[in-house]
Amino acid sequence: MQKRIAHAMAMLVGSLAVLQAMGQTPLRVAAAADLEPVLPPILDQFRQNTGIQAEASFQASAALTTLIQNGAPFDLFLSADMGYPKRLIDAGLADAAGSADSSTPILYAKGTLVLWTRKDAHLPPPSLDLLRSPELKRLAVANPERAPYGRAAVAALTSLKLYDTLKPRIVTAENIAQAAQFVDSGNADAGLISLTSAMTPRLSLSGSYFVIPRDLYPPIEQGAAIVSKTTQRAAVHKLLDYLLSAPVQAQLAKSGLTPVH
Amino acid sequence: MDWQAFVLTLKLASVTTAILLAVAVPLAAVLVLGRGRWLAALEALAALPLVLPPTVLGFFLLVLLGPRTAIGRGITVLLGHPLAFSFGGLVVGSVIYSLPFAVQPLVAGFAAVDPALVDAARLLGAGPPRLVASLLVPLARRSLLAAAVLSFLHTVGEFGVVLMLGGDIPGATRTLSIVLYNEVENFDYSAAGRTAATLLGLSVVALAAIYLGGRPKRDRRG
Repeated sequence: MQKRIAHAMAMLVGSLAVLQAMGQTPLRVAAAADLEPVLPPILDQFRQNTGIQAEASFQASAALTTLIQNGAPFDLFLSADMGYPKRLIDAGLADAAGSADSSTPILYAKGTLVLWTRKDAHLPPPSLDLLRSPELKRLAVANPERAPYGRAAVAALTSLKLYDTLKPRIVTAENIAQAAQFVDSGNADAGLISLTSAMTPRLSLSGSYFVIPRDLYPPIEQGAAIVSKTTQRAAVHKLLDYLLSAPVQAQLAKSGLTPVH
Repeated sequence: MDWQAFVLTLKLASVTTAILLAVAVPLAAVLVLGRGRWLAALEALAALPLVLPPTVLGFFLLVLLGPRTAIGRGITVLLGHPLAFSFGGLVVGSVIYSLPFAVQPLVAGFAAVDPALVDAARLLGAGPPRLVASLLVPLARRSLLAAAVLSFLHTVGEFGVVLMLGGDIPGATRTLSIVLYNEVENFDYSAAGRTAATLLGLSVVALAAIYLGGRPKRDRRG
């Protein structure tokens, strides 16, 4: 029995070594939750074009910031705002080397806030009037203290002078992906979510969205920063250049992000 | 320290523990006293919440209790609102989530009661309710205490289910674990440290008090 276990262990260790020998470690990208529907195909194309493999972990930008502060092995941080990567840059943990100003995060896209409802919710189609309607019993919003889209949502409701009225009806989600889930499961009537989520095949089939006028909230500028202790700086720069290239920026536009140029 | 969340957490844990004991004592008695292969399936079912990650369990409950299922629609008609994002929803989630922590110690405790005593009581004409109330529960009171303490603590420390099902509403679903998580995520580590220290300190004191009360006096045991 013991011999068998030892044998199995040896096999395991052996296969791990083989896996490690198969090329370099992939680039690890810490990506904001709104990129979840957008980034994986782009990373696939990037691998086909350059042979560089990149893997993304999706979480709220604040959570990723905590991870990087505590030494998580990421190479690139794609935030949903400028504040979190700036915080890492100021702490000396990340940088924007190679861009015009190496202490400012690299703007790679802008986000759009939408009001989303299910088609079977028995509510009028999403609009600013829906936000004023007493029929709206529960509105899902991402946590405004740490999710950039949540911050934008509260700013928009405040500009509409609706925040105080709606506050008791707001349910707070961990991030925009969960805000969408609260509405999609039918537990909330409507949600202020990202256009990237609303444009996914799944959500565009089950619901409809209304683009919140952009003058109601400060722009959701999404910034990138290179994690300074990366050992693959050249590959990270290739990925950043790829993200900012015209064809990929056009692709972002089709997925619900606004290109930066 | 968010005392509103503190009180809410204690309330949630107390209500959950009370319901769990009311459910788990008869369930454990059936598992120990009953006969038949289907009991193994029932016991497996009662242990199942241990397998699912809490956030997954919370997600399933969110969908199951939501207005897109018949159960959820029934609840909505009955209560006037969906069970998600309410205290009642958290109670349902917590009872399911902590069920194994109430059932397992009770099963072990009931099974440890001398079968000769059970047979004797049966011969003297005690039906199952009497058997449980007058024999099993008194003899397995340490297990009952363990079940209550574990259910209570497990609910106090519950996070994933609340995160998925709660919606972070102050006074209704914002429990201490959510407050702690918020503080950590908002980089407010000193507040998080204070909340955690208060929670841990109070738990140690409460636990010590309970265990002191449940400890057999130095007697002939052993």
